[in-house]
Amino acid sequence: MTNLMDREAVSEPENPLGFDGIEFIEFATSKPQALGGVLEQMGFRPIARHRSREVELYRQGTMNIVVNAQPADVPRTVQPVERPVLSAFAVRVRDADAAFQRARDLGAWEIPVRARSMELNIPAIHGVGESLIYFVDRYDEFSIYDVDFRATPAVDPHPPALGGLHFFGIVQYIGAERTADWVEFYSRIFGFKPLPDRVRFGIMPSGLLLQSPCRNFYLQLIEPDEPARYAPIDEHLQRIGLGTPDVLATVAQLEKRGIEFLASEKVHSTARGALTKPCLGSVMFELVHDEPPSSAAGP
Amino acid sequence: MIFSDFGMDTTSLAGSLESKLAVVRQAGFSQVVISATDVVGHPAGIAAGVRAVKASGLRVTGLEALRDYEGLDGQLHAYKVDIAKSLLDICSQLGGGSLLVEATTSTHADTGADVVARDLHKLATLAIPLGIRIAFKGVPWGRTAHDFRAAGEVVFRAGCPNLGLSIDAFDVLAAKVPLDDLDAIDPAQIFLVQLSDYMWQAMRSTEEEATTATHFRVFPGEGAHSEGLASFVNKLDAIGYLGDYSFDVYNDDYLQIPPETVAGRARLAAEWLAETVLRRALPIPDMERLRR
Repeated sequence: MTNLMDREAVSEPENPLGFDGIEFIEFATSKPQALGGVLEQMGFRPIARHRSREVELYRQGTMNIVVNAQPADVPRTVQPVERPVLSAFAVRVRDADAAFQRARDLGAWEIPVRARSMELNIPAIHGVGESLIYFVDRYDEFSIYDVDFRATPAVDPHPPALGGLHFFGIVQYIGAERTADWVEFYSRIFGFKPLPDRVRFGIMPSGLLLQSPCRNFYLQLIEPDEPARYAPIDEHLQRIGLGTPDVLATVAQLEKRGIEFLASEKVHSTARGALTKPCLGSVMFELVHDEPPSSAAGP
Repeated sequence: MIFSDFGMDTTSLAGSLESKLAVVRQAGFSQVVISATDVVGHPAGIAAGVRAVKASGLRVTGLEALRDYEGLDGQLHAYKVDIAKSLLDICSQLGGGSLLVEATTSTHADTGADVVARDLHKLATLAIPLGIRIAFKGVPWGRTAHDFRAAGEVVFRAGCPNLGLSIDAFDVLAAKVPLDDLDAIDPAQIFLVQLSDYMWQAMRSTEEEATTATHFRVFPGEGAHSEGLASFVNKLDAIGYLGDYSFDVYNDDYLQIPPETVAGRARLAAEWLAETVLRRALPIPDMERLRR
């Protein structure tokens, strides 16, 4: 798989989509309140509900998390079950429709449009496994939530972030010898760039890191360990990485709120990073030492 | 006896999908190339076809075939992308493997190198989330690639990690392509090698070649070019090819005799290749991993 490096440099601009971070990350679950409880322990606040679907919006600082309990109506998407699953992420781009069309032309699978009256049509493509990737361009003065969501009365729509938490990345589990394929997918469609092996963040160094064109968001691709290489694997989004300027202080705050962190010899909290124990059987958050990006310092 | 490197092609056999799979298995093969028509033509529907393949326990080496895909414009291109997506869907339901893509023969196709590379890159990108590899194959009457050399250039230009080659021995033998030209091919880029022979010493025209290719192929060891086939397979071994071999024997006679008889002939071919030609007595360590 060396031809990735040998090829002539592409003449595409560095950031073809005007990629500008992550607008939201979505979980699917049939027990939205249980997950909501975990999110609140992590510092998120419920601030709005979707107008027509069983979907709730949680927020802290610059981060939006969508909890989707609506049964899936599109093939190859996550059917909500009790165990929460990372089912989508939304990228902020200059022009969502143009980004979507470009992705289609390059070979992304589009999902059928499903907006109802008075709702925005948010274009999306299929990502890894059953997950989706949305394109959002209204995130500045006017947001997608103004149209699709009804704000919860008497709730601060902009709760501050605990410990300066902000989206840092997503860890994606992939099949054996699939790294080159996924590097191609994210580079070609979004302009992500693979980082050299010596660049590592946090305490979970395996796999390959891809950096977003805005340089504020990372995807970490992890192939199975040696003994598991022949077993069939369902590729999926595994966990969210959150950046914080002071990992240990943030860990202490979260522990007070009831979040437990792994404390084994191999994996334990340090100034570089920390990893929560799985909640509800599958939900893990990884903390990574990182200053918030200046453009996303919070409202 | 090791011939796990070799597999049959459902197109070589008469009968229902279930009986084809059963005879392939009974003959001792562990892998098979599935023709999409066998799955979608299943009388109980495509889901039943997929179940039959899964229940057989055979590994699906590849699904054939997407044809006349690249180089089209506008509505024709959109139509072919839809066809490609349907085939990718079937391939994914069958458990992945490769989708075989034959170089276009369409007179509507733009054969410009950049257009062809762009279209194949798009197809390979569609295949990435499904974990499928695209095996592109030159055919003698193809307009964008008539043999593995031209197909290799197309694949290199498109430059996508899950896009590689399928090489058909028949085309190499018929066109007398020098085997040393395989030296220019990266063995990791060869996703499948298809083996078959034919009875005549020479073919007088492209028409005769096309007819022979689609109706009168025989299994390796049965035809007039055993020596050429043996050299071809040994050459692939020498450049480090460790992947799958499949017998793409399209023969009208074989479709009117019992499939067991045909599978028996395939078994003899596999034994001849494994024991006499390649002398692979033992599996190579880490073979599964190398093969992916």
